[in-house]
Amino acid sequence: MNTKVAVAGMGCLCACGNTVASAFEGCLNGVSNFALPLGRVQSSYKSKFPVFLIPQEQYSQKPDNLTLSQYFFIKAAQQAFNKAGIKPEQLNPKRVGVIIGASVFPSFHCFEIYKNWKKNNFTAADGDGIKAYLSSPLAQWVSGYFGFKGPFQTVVTACASGTDAIGLAKNWIETGLCDAVLCGGTDEIAESPYDGFIRLLVATQERCRPFCKTRTGINLGEGAAALLLVNEDTSKKFNLPCQGYVLGYGNTCDAYHPTAPDPQAYGLKKALAFALKESGLKPEDLAFVNAHGTASPANDSAEALAFNEILPNVPVWGSKGTTGHTLGAAGALEAVLTLQALNKGILPATNGFSIADESLHLIPTIKNTQITKRFAVSDSLAFGGCNAALVLGAYNAA
Amino acid sequence: MPHLFWGLIMLPDLYIDGFSSLIGECSLEDFAPFLQARSLRRADTISKNVLLCCFRAMQQAGLNGVQHKDTGISLAMGAGALTSTVKFMDSIIEDGDELSSPTAFASSVHNSAALVLSVFLNIKGPCVITGQFDSSFAAALLTARQFIAKEMCRKVLLAATEDINPLVADILCKDNALLAPFIYCPHLPPKRAAAAFIVSAKPTDKTLFVLKNISLGIEDNSAKAQEQNTPDIQINSCAHTALSLAEYLKSAKPFTMHDTFAGAVLNINGEPYVQP
Repeated sequence: MNTKVAVAGMGCLCACGNTVASAFEGCLNGVSNFALPLGRVQSSYKSKFPVFLIPQEQYSQKPDNLTLSQYFFIKAAQQAFNKAGIKPEQLNPKRVGVIIGASVFPSFHCFEIYKNWKKNNFTAADGDGIKAYLSSPLAQWVSGYFGFKGPFQTVVTACASGTDAIGLAKNWIETGLCDAVLCGGTDEIAESPYDGFIRLLVATQERCRPFCKTRTGINLGEGAAALLLVNEDTSKKFNLPCQGYVLGYGNTCDAYHPTAPDPQAYGLKKALAFALKESGLKPEDLAFVNAHGTASPANDSAEALAFNEILPNVPVWGSKGTTGHTLGAAGALEAVLTLQALNKGILPATNGFSIADESLHLIPTIKNTQITKRFAVSDSLAFGGCNAALVLGAYNAA
Repeated sequence: MPHLFWGLIMLPDLYIDGFSSLIGECSLEDFAPFLQARSLRRADTISKNVLLCCFRAMQQAGLNGVQHKDTGISLAMGAGALTSTVKFMDSIIEDGDELSSPTAFASSVHNSAALVLSVFLNIKGPCVITGQFDSSFAAALLTARQFIAKEMCRKVLLAATEDINPLVADILCKDNALLAPFIYCPHLPPKRAAAAFIVSAKPTDKTLFVLKNISLGIEDNSAKAQEQNTPDIQINSCAHTALSLAEYLKSAKPFTMHDTFAGAVLNINGEPYVQP
């Protein structure tokens, strides 16, 4: 087994908690801030389609010059450094990389400015907003915020971005590119994706029900998760704690459809198999798989097919019934929750699930359960047919 | 300005079996050798641009018409699918969100261009898209090399495609000084552009060029960062680095490329590959 890449620290905030511990507690209890985004978007759908929101008091201190995506990630990263017991400036800045997955921030996220421009109401403040947009690619900005001078990469593979960011970070360390990589994902509720998912008819007005026979679609969410990955030398040099391992990473594309997964899940099966092979583990070594589990009919069907073939009899947990679908942050958030479940030895129930869908041949976790195995898989599927999978190990996996 | 000083990273040699680039917009007639143009009716312009470059690069590499389970995609999109993004925002502004275009939304996602490549080229290997303006191509190059190093695939379609932001273009037209520190060549109008390269770690009987001494670097000295040695490409685009590399390859001569982008740097020594 390959344990070259350790997780020295991790942090997150999302609708069900503002730390890893509280978010995981939210998953165990099914408690989350599921609400209408009345003050957050101007959409005419805002009183119909609820989302998983980070409570406003969590970002009341946000500086005006930061977006929520930036603020969320910095908060998660600070948690990760605190958990690792190391300050960013202690690390050799040229050997620390930053990889972040996101969807809203790397897009042209200046909708209000754009509206003003369209109406010929473009102001000096709007000009400053455009400058800010052009000057701060996300990973570059985070790298500068912490004073790092290693490589940076903003990954924009939509809903698989967070998983890809962690997988690429693992590769950067394994190939000797970096001693440490701050990686993860971040996203916020914004008007364009909010309207877009509703118009694609994949959003639901009810609370989502992953893998349930009565599932009707997804709920968007927001949040961020950050992991500080380190190589063995750095871990020893600074006597860093170990919160887990990144053991395998697989990535494929379906070449199938713009917004739907391949119903035969060819690409997902290949990504899962690659990650598992790289980890040196077998399906029977796994405690569970944290599914992408958006609760859209097509996603859950494709995943069930892949799990039944590649990970037979491995318990399946869907966490989006508590976090919502946090898009570019989802893969990172789910990786963090997966590691916490492994470290605590408890596999949460799939919140929202109630009735088995016979066509899936899969029943996700229905109650919180003790687990003893030390390994798990977390996977993501994305628009464009991108699939990504991670194999993760508990702190005591080595 | 944020810092943009990378630690120096040296990459192993890369071999190029095919390449292509374009500035502006392709026409549907350009696709005649490769597919029926009507099959592209839903693809946006920047997707078609990069697809055409990929078809041409793969043709040069002798790879068209076969399945590519062992090929990956590393795509640089500086600012994303701006035309589709703006089209979706326009549909919300003009028609109301209840009549906004789901097709435009789907096309606005960065992955849409990668989907076009994977579907029409039948590529099912790993796929990562990078979106960070001028430094996107350098990071995509790094990702391509990582795919190969980790044996996720043997060949990588390394590509870049860039759109026009109508708001930014309008500001540049009226007062380019306003955005001068942030735009590659503020005196030039933005243009769409795309490029594609077939890269691998080992030469084949189709290999055209070998790229050596590839370094993604830092330039702590800001004055030095202004120096660059790239072809005189009269465009303003985040795809500038990719286009520069393609221009050098077109020359079929040894070259030393030193490109800077907002302070970071990409150095490449290239020479034509001599088949044994």
